[in-house]
Amino acid sequence: MAQSSSLDVLLKGSSGQSTRGLLRIIILITIAAAAVASRLFSVIRFESIIHEFDPWFNFRATKYLVQNGFYSFWDWFDDRTWHPLGRVTGGTLYPGLMVTSGVIYHILRFLTIPVDIRNVCVLLAPGFSGLTALAMYLLTCEMSKSPSAGLLAAAFMGIVPGYISRSVAGSYDNEAIAIFLLVFTFFLWIKAVKNGSIMWGALTALFYGYMVSAWGGYVFITNLIPLHVFVLLCMGRYSSRVYISYTTWYALGTLGSMQIPFVGFLPIRNSDHMSALGVFGLIQLGLLRTLSAGVIAPWSGRFYSLWDTGYAKIHIPIIASVSEHQPTAWPAFFFDLNFLIWLFPAGVFMCFQNLKDEHVFVIIYAVLASYFAGVMVRLMLTLTPIVCVAAALAVSSILDSFLVLTKPNPESQTKTTSEDSKSLRSTQKPVVGIYSYFSKAVVTGSITVYLLLFVAHCTWVTSNAYSSPSVVLASRMPDGSQFIIDDYREAYYWLRQNTPDNAKIMSWWDYGYQIGGMADRPTLVDNNTWNNTHIATVGKAMSSREEVSYPILRQHDVDYVLVVFGGLLGYSGDDLNKFLWMVRIAEGIWPDEVKERDFFTARGEYRVDDEATPTMRNSLMYKMSYYNFQSLFPAGQAVDRVRGTRAPTESPQLNTLEEAFTSENWIIRIYKVKDLDNFDRDHNNAVAFDKGLKRKRASKKKGPRVLRTE
Amino acid sequence: MKLWSTLLLSFSVISGVLAAKPPQDTFQKYQSLSRSGPVDLDNAAFEELTNAPRDYYAAVILTAMDVRYGCAMCREFEPEWNLIAKSWNKGNKPDDLKVVFGTLDFDQGKTVFQKLLLQTAPVILLFPPTVGPFAKLESEPARFDFTGPMSADQLYSWINRHLPDGPKPPLVRPVNYMRIVSAITILMGAVTLFTVLSPYVVPIVQNRNLWAAVSLIAILLFTSGQMFNHIRKVPYMTGDGNGGISYFAGGFQNQFGLETQIVAAIYAVLSFATIALALKVPRMEDVKGQQVAVLIWAGVLFGTYSFLLSVFKTKNGGYPFYLPPF
Repeated sequence: MAQSSSLDVLLKGSSGQSTRGLLRIIILITIAAAAVASRLFSVIRFESIIHEFDPWFNFRATKYLVQNGFYSFWDWFDDRTWHPLGRVTGGTLYPGLMVTSGVIYHILRFLTIPVDIRNVCVLLAPGFSGLTALAMYLLTCEMSKSPSAGLLAAAFMGIVPGYISRSVAGSYDNEAIAIFLLVFTFFLWIKAVKNGSIMWGALTALFYGYMVSAWGGYVFITNLIPLHVFVLLCMGRYSSRVYISYTTWYALGTLGSMQIPFVGFLPIRNSDHMSALGVFGLIQLGLLRTLSAGVIAPWSGRFYSLWDTGYAKIHIPIIASVSEHQPTAWPAFFFDLNFLIWLFPAGVFMCFQNLKDEHVFVIIYAVLASYFAGVMVRLMLTLTPIVCVAAALAVSSILDSFLVLTKPNPESQTKTTSEDSKSLRSTQKPVVGIYSYFSKAVVTGSITVYLLLFVAHCTWVTSNAYSSPSVVLASRMPDGSQFIIDDYREAYYWLRQNTPDNAKIMSWWDYGYQIGGMADRPTLVDNNTWNNTHIATVGKAMSSREEVSYPILRQHDVDYVLVVFGGLLGYSGDDLNKFLWMVRIAEGIWPDEVKERDFFTARGEYRVDDEATPTMRNSLMYKMSYYNFQSLFPAGQAVDRVRGTRAPTESPQLNTLEEAFTSENWIIRIYKVKDLDNFDRDHNNAVAFDKGLKRKRASKKKGPRVLRTE
Repeated sequence: MKLWSTLLLSFSVISGVLAAKPPQDTFQKYQSLSRSGPVDLDNAAFEELTNAPRDYYAAVILTAMDVRYGCAMCREFEPEWNLIAKSWNKGNKPDDLKVVFGTLDFDQGKTVFQKLLLQTAPVILLFPPTVGPFAKLESEPARFDFTGPMSADQLYSWINRHLPDGPKPPLVRPVNYMRIVSAITILMGAVTLFTVLSPYVVPIVQNRNLWAAVSLIAILLFTSGQMFNHIRKVPYMTGDGNGGISYFAGGFQNQFGLETQIVAAIYAVLSFATIALALKVPRMEDVKGQQVAVLIWAGVLFGTYSFLLSVFKTKNGGYPFYLPPF
């Protein structure tokens, strides 16, 4: 009894309040710590390194910001990308991420903590994921009276793989801070709608502005909040609270978002933003919005492809070529969300119980985001927060009724049946409670099992799927020991050490940012895919014969060409597997010179062995990939491990390029573009001469003489 | 009457005179045959149309329309091809630029298909003129192979590239009056119906249960990969090679139509069990009944989740987790 009474002192009355508050804070701190810790796999396994592709650009931009200050960053013209065009980088990026880490860096410096900007960048995403968990707690607490819902949501958000996929240490991308901003903006918005205060509305606008500066996904907020208001209006729930919060948010938020050079006047000219303006008009005048066509630009391509799912495939191959723009198969949902995916509908259903303004928001968000996540894999990220909210509502509602020690007394129940037709059918009877301890034990026990399984699943997924930097690859040797494949960095450092400072490197656009970041050399195209023609030029150079490609290379001052080849190791993300996209993109601009059909055999197969089509075998990409490859194998036994076929038995002959570097596992191959021949021969003849072949004169006599017109 | 016959006679004489100039004649002949759409050709007509001295472009689609050949693309593309021919023939074009559009069906043109060694359909051949201002040196036709579904716009831009520069008639899609009228009718019908039935409809529209059901179904459909099916046009199911049905596609990135429906059903059962446990069971007044309900729902939840995990394990071989029964 003494124990229980001492517990009573702690848990009841005013001291109980503060104990609970303290407990809550401790739990939240623990959740944040777990969120950060579970994202550190890659740092522990590999090292503190920036991952993948886009983060390398962000890292480079951040370094520029830290070195040159904010104003020169704002006006930065980068002449080392998109050679020879250059890029007005300051005006074509979302600066939020770089500025955030720059500020953190300067604060740490001010506190005399000697920290490297790279480490700030690497650890920014895990740090913000801890904040996201806190924001999630706040958001969910607005939805439910039960405090456990908020804590559960924070815990879910902290470790759910759907969010971890974009926020492991080293994945220094816009999403790293954007998801925190998304959740927090929504929290502020709900607060604003609930209280109808200008302060909360203005705070929403402030964080919305921050979000606009950080990620293109801000359009999601731009459309979701107006939709929320619109639905509230349709339900006849117009109130001064809604009016105040929406008008404040719209006016301030639009002004704020226009401060970002990259966004500029889009908010008043682009249809993506028109729903916000329309609802603004609606809420002001009660009139239906009228869109004046002509002044208002049509949907931007990427956004449009969300609605008309066939659009991208036909019109914008460059959008369709990106793997994260593919539709989502069901295993991906389960992989990223585990048991939350089936708690999600249950949680949404529970929102229909009370159906206050904030619950309407959850329902709209849930339906919209699940549609978007189904269309595009990368939008799983916007679905994840709402899944966590809904699942936490469901789990907390179960736990709240099954984790109560006191038994209900059947006699004391007053038999009142509410005849409210507006409520859900399943919740019309009054709550009684759970009678037997056995039921309580069964349900809480199984829920605990599911939760533990969820934790195990998340850890497993994070460790196996989302913690690879993809710059450094790891595989297992037959004896189980780890084998690190570090070809990318090897090749980029080779470029850095052995080529002149302004040697132009041509590669497919996937590697542009990495070359810029790691090798510090100018590139022709990179991952910022705004100039389709320039990318198509590179595609054409890669997919044409040498005679066609060489002039292109010369015209663009290319010194080195870099290709990725996985045939030796079985690395499937190599250039030959992406080759068809290069062909398609080039065909979009030069349909008469590059034809996708020519790369398939008569029977419609994509072959790379000796039976490949002549167009394929003569293409620059094919030649560079297989050049001298068969020399690694005994005669006639060369095997391409990616495509699972024989490699060509004879090495392709390269006339205009020479091999400069091949990495340890042949993943990266770099070729130097030959200068013009000293004796003014064409390269074909020069190579033939060097090989000691007799010059063919007979060919001149063939056919009738034609007048040379040059 | 007599006047008519003399007129006809004189026309036939004129046409007889024209026959002396072969290229002019063939173009006129097929142009008049075509009226507005493409000309239907057979073996002989195809030969005549594409014969060497010609001063016009001939664009011919070689297709197989009959259901027996199972060429879905042929049938899909047919209206688009007619659209192109119609737009060209009706539009404003330079006087000296002559193009004949023709259709050769496999049933009428087997020999042509054999002669050209065609294995697939549809194929579009564009024969350039051999005489006249736009004559090309090589008389080989340009060939357009279909790699996927095509719209008229894409093909028309391909044809335009092969024609000489200059103004060309734009592709005009006819206004579908039928559709507009039917849409207006349906709309008005709906409005009328709504006003008449509003006392009965409004409670339904405002019914929370209905909206809950609609949004839950939408969420279940989207999260079980329906959009993937829609975009990728996956098969509903396939055989497993032994005469049975394979319900689940191999691999993490694949799925069948039936598979997504099974998964959606699993999610629905799991969600419903959760809702029952969270909302219904605590509202039951009968002690025994509640105990039974809790056990049943918890059992359903456990069993179905275990099944879901086992399904996921078949999709992703290396997945280490499972729950006992399955």
